[in-house]
Amino acid sequence: MSWVQAASSTPSAADEEDVFDEEADESLLVQREWRNHMQRRIKEGYRDGLDAGKAVTLQQGFNQGYKEGAEVIINYGQLRGTLSALLSWCHLHDNSSTLISEINSLLDAVGQCEEYVLKHLKSITSQPHVVDLLDSIEDMDLCHVVPDKKKIDETKDERLCENNAEFNKNCGKSPSGKDCSYLERCTTQEHSHSENPNLAWILEQTASLVKQLGISTDVLQHLKQL
Amino acid sequence: FHGEGYQEGYEDGSSLGRIEGRQHGALRGAKIGSEIGCYQGFAFAWKHLLHSDASERDSRKMRVLESLMGMIEKFPYDDPAYDRLHEDLDRIRGKFRQLCSLLNVQPDFKMSAEGSGLSF
Repeated sequence: MSWVQAASSTPSAADEEDVFDEEADESLLVQREWRNHMQRRIKEGYRDGLDAGKAVTLQQGFNQGYKEGAEVIINYGQLRGTLSALLSWCHLHDNSSTLISEINSLLDAVGQCEEYVLKHLKSITSQPHVVDLLDSIEDMDLCHVVPDKKKIDETKDERLCENNAEFNKNCGKSPSGKDCSYLERCTTQEHSHSENPNLAWILEQTASLVKQLGISTDVLQHLKQL
Repeated sequence: FHGEGYQEGYEDGSSLGRIEGRQHGALRGAKIGSEIGCYQGFAFAWKHLLHSDASERDSRKMRVLESLMGMIEKFPYDDPAYDRLHEDLDRIRGKFRQLCSLLNVQPDFKMSAEGSGLSF
């Protein structure tokens, strides 16, 4: 409430001092008015400048982002298309439902990865923060070891990743490995900062699937560049 | 004073515009890239699948497939300034649907199986 006191005390002080000094009072008023006007002009200028600056760079930024977005996602799309082709081929050839469901799981995994990439494209300018990463794990309801504490430092987060990696490794080895969703592996790999998060793993799985189908792995030739 | 504020605003606006534009652009580009990549992967894989079947090597399926691949190859999916983007994209989509019906594959079934939240 200090501003109330200030507001009420300033005029009264001025009144006392300037009560017979009309010229002084006026110059003070003029000064204040002028300052207000100046500030308003600066603000207006700032707003105009902001709009003008934005207008100039918006398109540049769009073009840059467009290229980046298209390039980063194309591999995922290709993998998804390939898996879709295999899936349709399986359907036409009445293949076993286990293989079909396996392809479907891999398709889901690719979809999840794409979504993850898209999510990161939205926050493209900010470096991924530990808390964000944890949030995204929690969002996907994947992590069984996320601590409740929100203030987690980097080292702890790394440990978390290691735990998770260990967990998934165990999953893969154990007889009940099938219960471990593809997704969990995805996130772990993403968090280990691999260049193409989990694509390599999905590709590996796809290759072994192709072999099971009795198709030459040439069918994946175009994906080799991943 | 207007100029003083303007300069500052301009600088802030520039970086803001770049960030905002980049985010929008990235999402738009990713949508196109994802769709085109998918057709590409689909076509490549089916080409190999058909190629292993001698009776299909010169079939109509193969011709449509090759034509789809040619269209995709020419399509500058990463160029936002390409003025025939929508026109070409529609042609590619049409060709893809044609291929699907020739292969006796449901394109819808494939799309719904994607579950990636990308609407084409």
